[in-house]
Amino acid sequence: MSESGVDVLQTVTLVVIVLIGVAWYLSYSAARLDRLHAKVEGSMSALDAQLVRRAEATLELANSGTLDPATALLLADAATASLERTTELPHEDDLLDGQHFGDREDTEGTLTEVLGLTLTPPVVAELRGRGDGLVDDALDRIAASALRARMARRFHNAAVREVTRVRGKRVVRWFRLAGHADLPRRVDFDDDLPEALVR
Amino acid sequence: MRIGMVCPYSFDVPGGVQFHVRDLAEVFLDQGHEVSVLAPADDDEPLPPYLVSCGRAVPVRYNGSVARLTFGPVTSARVGRWLEHGRFDVLHLHEPVTPSVSLMALWAAEQPVVATFHTSTTRSRAMHAAQPLLRPSLEKIHARIAVSEDAAQTVRSHLGGDTYIIPNGVHVERFARAGRVPAWQGTPAAPTLAFLGRVDERRKGLAVALAAMPRVLDAHPGARLLVAGPGDASETLRHADPRASAATELLGPVSDGDKESLLASVDAYLAPHLGGESFGIVLVEAMAAGAPVLASDLPPFLRVLDDGRAGATFPVGSADGLADAVLDVLGDGSVRERLRAAGRARAPLFDWTGVSGQVMAVYETVRAGADAAPPERARLWGRLVRGGAGTGAER
Repeated sequence: MSESGVDVLQTVTLVVIVLIGVAWYLSYSAARLDRLHAKVEGSMSALDAQLVRRAEATLELANSGTLDPATALLLADAATASLERTTELPHEDDLLDGQHFGDREDTEGTLTEVLGLTLTPPVVAELRGRGDGLVDDALDRIAASALRARMARRFHNAAVREVTRVRGKRVVRWFRLAGHADLPRRVDFDDDLPEALVR
Repeated sequence: MRIGMVCPYSFDVPGGVQFHVRDLAEVFLDQGHEVSVLAPADDDEPLPPYLVSCGRAVPVRYNGSVARLTFGPVTSARVGRWLEHGRFDVLHLHEPVTPSVSLMALWAAEQPVVATFHTSTTRSRAMHAAQPLLRPSLEKIHARIAVSEDAAQTVRSHLGGDTYIIPNGVHVERFARAGRVPAWQGTPAAPTLAFLGRVDERRKGLAVALAAMPRVLDAHPGARLLVAGPGDASETLRHADPRASAATELLGPVSDGDKESLLASVDAYLAPHLGGESFGIVLVEAMAAGAPVLASDLPPFLRVLDDGRAGATFPVGSADGLADAVLDVLGDGSVRERLRAAGRARAPLFDWTGVSGQVMAVYETVRAGADAAPPERARLWGRLVRGGAGTGAER
């Protein structure tokens, strides 16, 4: 009689310990995933902010009146397309809005391409030679934001890779630890800096 | 910005990572940022004001060589205190996958983390075996920087994913301005060659330089090989050709100023390294000082030398190849001048001004991302599940 009482106590203790262990592990996995999601969100928002800055600075340069009209129009077109895509994007209802790039790759890739084709070394040297503060400022801001966008995209893709791996784990899939969050995706587009703007 | 940097290696021992951390910290301090560097150091040694010691380094075998590292509960507590008091905006860890204070800081970190990978290792048993243990910590790294394509490849093979490459920096101006020292300056009758690096470490290639000397001496009997660097060279010199040993002058470990002057004085700088290099900062220093660079054709060296355009290269370990290159440079003044000019033109690419600007851009990018994301909770359960146990030790 007393022996079975001890057995029950032991079994209950064991079950409680196992339950605590499982709870800790689930909680730990959820926190890890949460941290990764926050990182992906952060890197995406950093990328987004730099791309907006790049487009704004490009538009300013295009409207400065220092470029020939054809070049100015090309730059303005690509920059406006990028700015329109950004403002169209937000989905207020989706908490993980920050993890979507909304198929902007083509638009941003086009802006990169147009910047590379128009801001050739002789053109940049000529623009810098004018000593126009506004133009210099716009060029500096294009260079700075393009560099940071390039970095942010690398960091984002590294983070996406980590989230994807953790979300592939069985414990995360079985216990639906990711909730309704969409699986973040890599962002791939040509983000080379115009050669003349590389220091 | 409040920047916390962690260097895994002791500051009183010279080394590429230590110099990099020191220079980067000083550049940012000059720019008006707040910088604190956590590194192993003897507490009784005079330390720069920005350096915080995490304890004494212990020599220990790791991944095939002896490293001076710190570890253990005392270090762990110091790391926790440093993080807590520093309230850093960004934490910059160097070599975070060595078993050292960098890894401890990563374990305990709650702020955005930037990590720089310096070495290129072909394989690491520990990295492979400890993957499940390390991975959750490594996921805390927001931005991964590699100092070269070779270091980036190492990161890719161990951790996977993208890495941003920012090269090591050099104070180009200091080397370009360095005064020449007559004792080290070559004359047409007695040209001088420089070798820098640990003399008793085989992979630095002193033996290759010595093996190339007899042919150099045949053509230029007065030629001298100036060897600067710590270590005991007697063994290597004993095995070398007696004429080569006689033409060699051991300068021992040299100060920064002497290194600059040495490179500015000589007719050529030799880099006969056999491998294990991930960047080749001395090559940049030599280029900045105006010394023609003759280097083995290791991939990182080729990249620094712009595929051999900014210096002459020869097959790794080939004493004959090195001798040919030396004879080329010493025999023809126009070759020497061409290499000097090419090096001087190439070096500014690695100047700290541009390099530190890129690192700051990484900090800003990471900060921007962290500001956008919700702050982390730091309650007890939160700490337990987030693996931030290191900071709990000092409470």
